[in-house]
Parts: sequence; C-alpha cells; structure tokens
Amino acid sequence: MARRHPLGSAWTGALLALPLLLFLVAAVAWPIAGLAARAFATNRGAAFGEVLAAGRYRASLVNSLALSSAAAVVSVLLSLWPSWVLARERFRGRDLLRTVISLPLTFSGVLVGFLMVVLLGRVGALPKAIGFLTGREAFAGAAYTFAGLFAAYLYFEVPRAVVTLESAFRHFPRELDMAARALGAGPLERLIKVALPAAAPALRSTLAVTFSASMGSFGVALILSRRFTVAPLEIYTEMTGFLNDEVAGALCLLLALATLVVDRLLSAGRR
Amino acid sequence: MIRKRALLVAVLSIASIAAVAVAQEKVVIQYDCIPNYANWGGVTALYKKLAGVTVPPDPKGSSVAMAALEKEKGAPQADTSYYSGAIGFQAAEKGLHEPYKPAGWEKIPAALKDSNGLWWTVHTSAIAFVVNTKALGGAPVPRSWQDLLKPVYKGKIAYDDPTWGGTSYTLIYGLNTLMGGNEKDFKPGLAYLKKLDANVSSYPRESIYNGVLRGEVPIWINADGNGYKMKYVDGGPVEVVIPSEGTFTMPLVMGLVKGAPHKAEAKKYLDWLLTAPAQGEFAKSYFLPVLPGATPKEIAAHFLPAGEYKRARALDLAKMAAAADALKRAWVDEIRGSGR
Repeated sequence: MARRHPLGSAWTGALLALPLLLFLVAAVAWPIAGLAARAFATNRGAAFGEVLAAGRYRASLVNSLALSSAAAVVSVLLSLWPSWVLARERFRGRDLLRTVISLPLTFSGVLVGFLMVVLLGRVGALPKAIGFLTGREAFAGAAYTFAGLFAAYLYFEVPRAVVTLESAFRHFPRELDMAARALGAGPLERLIKVALPAAAPALRSTLAVTFSASMGSFGVALILSRRFTVAPLEIYTEMTGFLNDEVAGALCLLLALATLVVDRLLSAGRR
Repeated sequence: MIRKRALLVAVLSIASIAAVAVAQEKVVIQYDCIPNYANWGGVTALYKKLAGVTVPPDPKGSSVAMAALEKEKGAPQADTSYYSGAIGFQAAEKGLHEPYKPAGWEKIPAALKDSNGLWWTVHTSAIAFVVNTKALGGAPVPRSWQDLLKPVYKGKIAYDDPTWGGTSYTLIYGLNTLMGGNEKDFKPGLAYLKKLDANVSSYPRESIYNGVLRGEVPIWINADGNGYKMKYVDGGPVEVVIPSEGTFTMPLVMGLVKGAPHKAEAKKYLDWLLTAPAQGEFAKSYFLPVLPGATPKEIAAHFLPAGEYKRARALDLAKMAAAADALKRAWVDEIRGSGR
C-alpha cells in the first residue's frame, strides 16, 4: 500500500482545487471587480449614495429583502410535512410524486410568470373555472397583484425547499425520538426539545437556499409586477432602459452583499 | 468498461462539435428581430429561402437592442438592428452605426432617412388602439383618448413599458405633444398617463401580442399593424381604432452596426429588405412598406380608410431622441412610482 506523504497530498489537493479557483476568479471575482469599477467610475461611488437614499432604488432593495424572507419562511413551513413524508414514508408512486414536485425547479422565472398569467390572469383558468361552477368569476387578474407575485415565488420556492429538506430529513436520527419517548416525554415536548433542535440546521440551510434564490429571481417580477419592484428588475431597467451602469452596478453589489449577509447569519452557529 | 464508455463519449462529443463547425451556415445577426412583430418571422424565412442566409430571431425591444450595442461596442456581436425611429436615431447619434446607403436608397422619402446613411426607414406604422372586442366584457369600443379614462375600462388597458420598447416611447412622447406639452415640458402628457394608470392592468416588458389575441388584454395601445394582423391573419375578434383626437406615425428604421462581424452579408441583406418581395412581406403584417406601391392590393383594402389616417401626425425624431432619457425617467418616477 502506498504511503501518503503529507506534502504530496497538499500539492495534490492544491492541484485538484485549481479548476475551482480559476472558476471562482473568472466567474465571481472578475465580474464583481468589474461591477465595482463601474459603480465607482463616476464621482467616487456617488451611485451608492443614490441607491441608498430614500427612493425607488432603496425601495427595491427593501422589497427584495422582505419578499425573499417571507417567501423563504412560508415555503419552508409549507414544505415541512411533504418533505417529511417523502423522506420517511414508503408508498407507491413516491418517486413519481417527487419528480412532479421538483418539476417547477426546471422552469425559468419568465415561464413561471406566464404560468401565473394563464392560471390567474384576467382570463385565467382559475377565474374561468370558478365562474363556471358558481356563476361568478373570482380572482380574475390576481396574477398582477402582490398576492399573485408572492404565489409565483412560492411556486418555485416550495419545490426547492421540499427537495432540500427531504435530503436532510432522510438522515434525521429517529433513535433520539425513540429515546425521548422511552424517557416519558410527550409528543409536544419531543417536538420542541428533540425534533426541532435536531432539524434546525436543515431548516436554516433551507431558508438560506430559498432566500438566495428569491433574491436573484427576475423573470417572475418582470412579467407580473406593475408597480411593486424588486432589485433585479431595477438593475435590468437601469442597464437596458437608461444605460446607467453606475446605479446598476451599485445595485448589483448591494443585492449580493445583502444576500451574503443573510446567508451568513443563517449559517452562523450551524455545525 | 467505464473507461471505454468515457472514451466513446469523448469521441462522440468532439465529432459533434466538429460537425457543427463544418456545417456552419451563413448568418446575419439582427437585434430586435421579433418574429411576430412586423412579420420579421416571414421576412427572415423568405430570405433564408431565397439567399440561404439565416437571420435568427431576437427578442430585444428597441431600447434593449441599443443598450446591448452600447455594451458590446468593443466587440460587436450584431450586424444590424431594427428600431422604432427615435431610438434608431439615438443609436446613430451615439456612434453605434456606420454609414451605409442600401440599394433603393433614393426611393425612401428624405424625412425618413439620415442623409449620411446612418439609419433609414423600412416601413411605418401608426399608434392605435388594438381592441379585442370579445374581451371588453360589454363595454363599448373606445374611440378617443378621453374614452380610455372612463371607469368602464378599469383593468382592461395595457401599453408596453417605454423603457423596454420604442413603440411605447413613441406613444408617450406623442401623447405629450397631443396634450399640449413639448420636448422640454412633459407635464401635460404625464398628467394624462397618470389618470390612465387607474385603468391600466400592466406595463409589459415583453410582446403581449398573444395575450391580446387570447383576451388577456382587451385594449393594447400599440402599432396599428399588430391589430390588423390579429384580425386578418390570426382571425381574432379585433378592431383597430385611430383615436378621434389624433395619433402619431412611427417610422421603423434599420442601421448597419459599426464593426459588424458579418458586414458583407449584412449589406446584401439590408439591400434586399428594400426590394419588392421583402417589402411586400412586411406588408403582410400591415406595416406600411416605405417603398411606394409595394403593398399588395388585398392588404391595402384591410386598412382603415385613408381619411382616418389624416389624424396621424409625424413626430420630430431629433427632438424625440433628445428627450428620450428624461421622458422615460419621468415616466418611471410618475407612473411606476416609488416601487412599493
């Protein structure tokens, strides 16, 4: 058997990590430096002041944070039960169900936006069906309201949360629960003192994943939003409508920073 | 076994890349080449048939096309671009085009081309109400800009986001002049648009042609040609209305991109766009060919009577281009509002 030399393995490790490093430089460091350069190009970063001053740009960042947080929390809550069932129960059609649930993950945001219009637009399928059943249409045009936008975010965040949580739940130590039960703990006590603490890291990472995906999402708001705006939409408008690289760059960097900070907060204390 | 399979996969992928490279066809890249706008789908398919050159579809609106050209100045990707007039004028002013006078140049009226060949018109259109009569829910077909403000049209009107498309920029600039404003004073137009906002369901940033046809949007303020096409080509329950207070014509223009990667092919293509077959193909989507007499008779018969078009006024492209950024910015602030 070959003996491992410590130096040799470090070199091998560095060599193996080289593609990743090159990728990080090319795909992360280089574009961020480019954005920063653009944002600072005029008036030493006055664009950051412009973005952070009260107004449309700041509102878009606040909206992104609020919408993404709400979408993350609600989608995790909605996913708890389905992901638990998928992870722990065996039943016919489980694989098919899992495939169907994760299907929306393959849709682009623009497509999800169009689906919402088809479902909840002015002549959407749901208003028509309700009209057919009750004689009075309801929810026509709901796709263009804030509720419609939020529903569209859930549409692609719930599957993401289910997939992430399911893999965590598969490794959930059931023995702990059994031990607590043997020691005389009731169901509520077991949930609060055993199940939730054990699942907390998985919940936090699922929150982080869904939150980050929502922060970057663009297509849904592009199709559905009428007045409510999110940061990626403002970046698009500044870039394409006004060729305003400074503000677009500053918004990009602040959006990335906000996402990073929230992700770090969620993973803090995770082992 | 695994190694053999990996080798096979590698050989196959290299072979397929090589095959694509060998089979590479002649292309001309046109920004803003939306297949169901002005029948670009039909025009480019005909060119493929006649010349064997592919002009792939491109979903950018005029403004986005200009932004992309500006970003790619150092390494141009596109050969040509199509715009609504004022945006093309602006792109030429920004130095994104190089002069070219395609064959047939002398037949284009002087007001519809740049004397140096930086842009020229291929067809024109007029802003109109494109109304899906079945989707109105019992409301009458609107006849005037004032009609559109009535509560009965609440949630039934859409016009494109003017930061996305040039057609809508023509609309908001034209409306402002119609309401008494000018290239410096946007208040009259914005006051009207703010009132209209109460009835608007969305400000799309993508083509909603199919949405109008389906009835998702009952009233679309857009190019008349799109409405005629819905009615006569797609058989939709659509009526085109030239509002009684007046409307605006919009030249749609082309330019040769500075540093175009397929310049020789692009020039041939731009020449061809001014020939009778290409112009007749544009006419099939009811955009008026810039070459006189290129509109087939049966198509001409579908247009509203010429008397209706007497209310359509031409706009000054230079003033429109100069006001573009400020007016679009004012529109975002006033109409999209604080973003909350």
